[in-house]
Amino acid sequence: MAEQIIKPDVNFINDVIAAGGESVKKCFQCATCSVVCNVTPEDNPFPRKEMIHAQWGLKDRLISNPDVWLCHQCSDCTAYCPRGAKPGEVLGAVRKLSIQHYATPSFLAKAVGSPKALIGLLALPVIIFIVAILMQGNSFIPEGRIVYAEKFMKVPYIDVIFSAAALFAVIGFIMGVSRYWKDLTKSIEMSSNPWQRKVKGPMIAIILGTIFEFVTHKRFKKCEVTKDRANTHLFVFFGFVGLAITTTWAIAYLYGYEFFGITAFSVFHFGESPYPLYDPMKIVGNVSAILLLAGILQVITNRRKNAEKAGAGSYFDWLFIGIITSIVVTGILSEVLRLADIGTEDGLRLADLRMLAYPTYFIHLVSVFFLFAYAPFSKMAHMVYRTTALVFAKYSGREEKKY
Amino acid sequence: MEKKFGVYICKGCGIGEALNVDDLKKATAGGAKVPAEAVKDHGILCSPEGLEMIRNDVKEGTTCVVIGACSPRVKFEEFDFPGTITERVNLREFIAWTMEPGNEDTQAVAEDYMKMGVIKVQKGGLPEPNILEDLSNTIMVIGGGITGITAALEAADAGYKVFLVEKEAELGGWAAKLYKETPRLYPYDKLEEPRIFDKIKEVESNENVTIYKATTVEKTDGQPGLFDVTLRTNGSSQTVKVGAFVMAAGWKPYDASKLEYLGYGNPNVITNVQMEEIAKKGKIVRPSDGKEAKKIAFIQCAGSRDANHLPYCSSFCCGTSLKQAKYVREKNSDAVAMIFYKDIRTPGQTELFYKNMQNDPGVLLTKGDVTAITDAGNGNLHVEAENTLLGEKIKVEADLVVLATGIVPATRATQEYFDALTEAGKKGDDAKKAFLDETPKPDSILNLTYRQGPEIPTLEGAYGFADSNFICFQYETRRTGIYTAGCVKQPMTMSDAAEDAAGAALKAIQCVEHVAKGMAVHPRAWDTTFPDPLMIKCTSCKRCTEECPFGAIDEDEKGTPFYRLNRCRRCGTCMGACPERIVSFKDFSVDIVGSMIKDGVDVPDEGYRVIVLACENDAYPALDSAAIKKMKLHPAVRIIPVRCLGSTNLVWVTDALSRGIDGLILLGCKYGENYQCHFVKGSELANYRFSKLQETLSKLQLEADRCQLLQVAISDYDKLPAMIDDFMKRIDEVGPNPFKGF
Repeated sequence: MAEQIIKPDVNFINDVIAAGGESVKKCFQCATCSVVCNVTPEDNPFPRKEMIHAQWGLKDRLISNPDVWLCHQCSDCTAYCPRGAKPGEVLGAVRKLSIQHYATPSFLAKAVGSPKALIGLLALPVIIFIVAILMQGNSFIPEGRIVYAEKFMKVPYIDVIFSAAALFAVIGFIMGVSRYWKDLTKSIEMSSNPWQRKVKGPMIAIILGTIFEFVTHKRFKKCEVTKDRANTHLFVFFGFVGLAITTTWAIAYLYGYEFFGITAFSVFHFGESPYPLYDPMKIVGNVSAILLLAGILQVITNRRKNAEKAGAGSYFDWLFIGIITSIVVTGILSEVLRLADIGTEDGLRLADLRMLAYPTYFIHLVSVFFLFAYAPFSKMAHMVYRTTALVFAKYSGREEKKY
Repeated sequence: MEKKFGVYICKGCGIGEALNVDDLKKATAGGAKVPAEAVKDHGILCSPEGLEMIRNDVKEGTTCVVIGACSPRVKFEEFDFPGTITERVNLREFIAWTMEPGNEDTQAVAEDYMKMGVIKVQKGGLPEPNILEDLSNTIMVIGGGITGITAALEAADAGYKVFLVEKEAELGGWAAKLYKETPRLYPYDKLEEPRIFDKIKEVESNENVTIYKATTVEKTDGQPGLFDVTLRTNGSSQTVKVGAFVMAAGWKPYDASKLEYLGYGNPNVITNVQMEEIAKKGKIVRPSDGKEAKKIAFIQCAGSRDANHLPYCSSFCCGTSLKQAKYVREKNSDAVAMIFYKDIRTPGQTELFYKNMQNDPGVLLTKGDVTAITDAGNGNLHVEAENTLLGEKIKVEADLVVLATGIVPATRATQEYFDALTEAGKKGDDAKKAFLDETPKPDSILNLTYRQGPEIPTLEGAYGFADSNFICFQYETRRTGIYTAGCVKQPMTMSDAAEDAAGAALKAIQCVEHVAKGMAVHPRAWDTTFPDPLMIKCTSCKRCTEECPFGAIDEDEKGTPFYRLNRCRRCGTCMGACPERIVSFKDFSVDIVGSMIKDGVDVPDEGYRVIVLACENDAYPALDSAAIKKMKLHPAVRIIPVRCLGSTNLVWVTDALSRGIDGLILLGCKYGENYQCHFVKGSELANYRFSKLQETLSKLQLEADRCQLLQVAISDYDKLPAMIDDFMKRIDEVGPNPFKGF
């Protein structure tokens, strides 16, 4: 077997420590982590080898390592680690560094990972939306009944801003993931590891298999110490799926009417918003929102409950959780305030609801923008990189096809 | 002393239920010829009332107290009657707890034991200590390193005069050569200034301590309390008298020139000792060009835990490399220290220091086997390692490599020399002469004038470390009054060595105090008896001088043996060795045990009788343990404790067999490599003598199987009853002793 030259990089060790892996150096390589891990392949199991690679600052071996993403941070390893080295947290930190490494532009990647830059990152959507309101000549707290689209932020504005943000994110993801894939495949050619046998199979089958796997959360359910996480993540996941369907559906209602002249029939209310609550699209949207709310609240409680065993989590994690919470809470609140406004008599309607409703909706817009635009740099990127890594693991033979 | 007997039988702890005590009293009085009124019983003999009964008898003139109750290994404080000869008969453990109650056989065992107890006292006498004259209680400490200085201070602070001998011009040893020490205080994260210099000041200003620097020991003559030591300082000699020694001659680093495969010879490959020198001077620079080193590799177990070099772990090197990694990091925060180890071994609280050092991002550790260190050009080196978690085969560049070399005890050279001499001697006189001519004789540390050699003996498989009865008495060597401490005994850290020194100093104090009272030093630390030979009958056969494990018997000019009593440990090996049977102790002699066998054991016409001579140190407590577990002992056996199987005189065997006893078991310690016998080789000697005896038995048409030596450790108690039963089965096959009834 070829001799490998080891070049330690203290800067990378410090990066791992700063990214939430402050316990990395405590590891003394006993392999308890690899033994208790339920999601690792049997050959060359993680996370022990990742721990020593991180301890020696071997960036190349970590950043493009699919194993880092096969880890679902069950934290079984962290709970059983005799030295308090928290391998789960360390791998989380490595994933963050991996996201940052592949994301372009890199300054934005650094900013999303740094608490100091949070104000600046928030300022961008805040300014964009203030400018948009001013351009429409709208008031910040419009008079009369609460109608977000008409009086506050018209649909074209929403569409333009969010399409731009989404496009930015998609381009970012495509660039990042293609670099990642290149490194992954290069690592096959470079590597001396026996598992990287290049057993390329039909890519479409692999992708479908991977999708089936994360739709069911089969792998995630192998966690023990934090076994509730698979369920809560499932809530959040399907909450997002439902909201994505709702958004597409809403677009269909609006543009179906505008461009194709489809009008409302049966319970389907093609046309402009707002739509009645019994509309199926509305039902899907509200159910999804409740799923997401329930999921994210459980994420927060579970994380706090397991903090001692599984580690408290990093800024990177909590920023992501915070944004999702903000989106779902402000989203639901905006809707509730609007409905409350409809439900009250003219005379009884107080200025208070408006005072609360528009700022809430504003925060909602800012939060959604934050999630979209910064997705390639935030923990949101995990969905893309993990999927890529899972596909690669199947593609390269790193994993048996048992999943 | 007029012998007036008081015999007491306890009925407690099940004895009363197992035995008919009234019958036992009658049998004891009749069989051992003591007045019937002198044999008493009590419900609970160790109760205040029971003890009061005995004390009153003693007040009224009873001088010989025989107590039939529990094992002598318990209740020794209760059954203590100063001025009397007290003998304990083990009715509880050996009968009540191990045999069928209310049975004829059981009753017979008790009668025999009681008789034997009385006979022992009838034949024995009250010990009077033999205190030699002009005893010194000065303690000589050899070696002025951390161990020696600590031992000297401990002894001096306890009020004893100390002579501290150091062969170098200054005190301090290796401890004085360090830049910093590994942390000793919580939270174990700061290096500490070497503490040796304060200790040197302290010992130099202690008025109880006389320091001999640049001094070696030319000759050590005499015995504990009466050692005459000739010291040589700068060419002149003087003789001083001392009572006991602490031998702390320390260690040398393993010769790194044997570690060529680790690149030693390249100027940038240094040892941990050299690293201390470099750190003491300032920046960590590499020797080849004086450039500051920034990538420093530490190779653990360099020549240690390696069958080709030192097979053992030196215990301090991991801590030292972690400490030196801290030098590297403190002197230059850009530098990294890479540690390659087999296993990190950081004994005691050093583990916490290890944990702290691990957290430093610039200290990189990996397990692995370093296979080679090669030149990488421009003065740098490549460390090549296998089986690491970083890769199967890896190569790391370093600009300085530190080899963590281990400890070689100061005693090793002499011991290797004498071992080789013995080997050469086996090949014949010519080979021995050639060896002596060709091999330079290494300096001995103590230069003892003992017939067993000039140095503390070696232990097989101990790699030249000084002898130690490491299982039971780690400070004890086979040279009474000489206690080893520190790295001459086993590899240890400085903290451990200082602790070890305090222990050795206490043992030296115990030694001088005991010889002052005429007591054995150890392990029979209470014993005031001593071997008292009837010299008129001595034939100067020298078997005793050859066999004494402690060199306590020397010969005068005419070849007549004489005792150096303070070296003696009272094991009785001489008593067992003597073909003329002239060696006796007050309470233990050929006659006493012989009479117990002859007159104490009733040999019936039907059924078997077997004598078990049980070593008091391991076998006897093991039998007691079996009794505590309520295991069954065969009722045909009669157990007689002996000080050591080495004290077994073969006449006992012939006495027993000629009386019709069907078999004998010698129950003693395991022997061989790494002796665990308290008296070094007692059971081994007994086995040797036994093998000779068995030839004689065969000639007499007696089956050799009738006599067996069984080796047991104290932990073998659970196997013991079965071992005895197996022996009884064999006797049953062989049949009764044909001499029975003659």
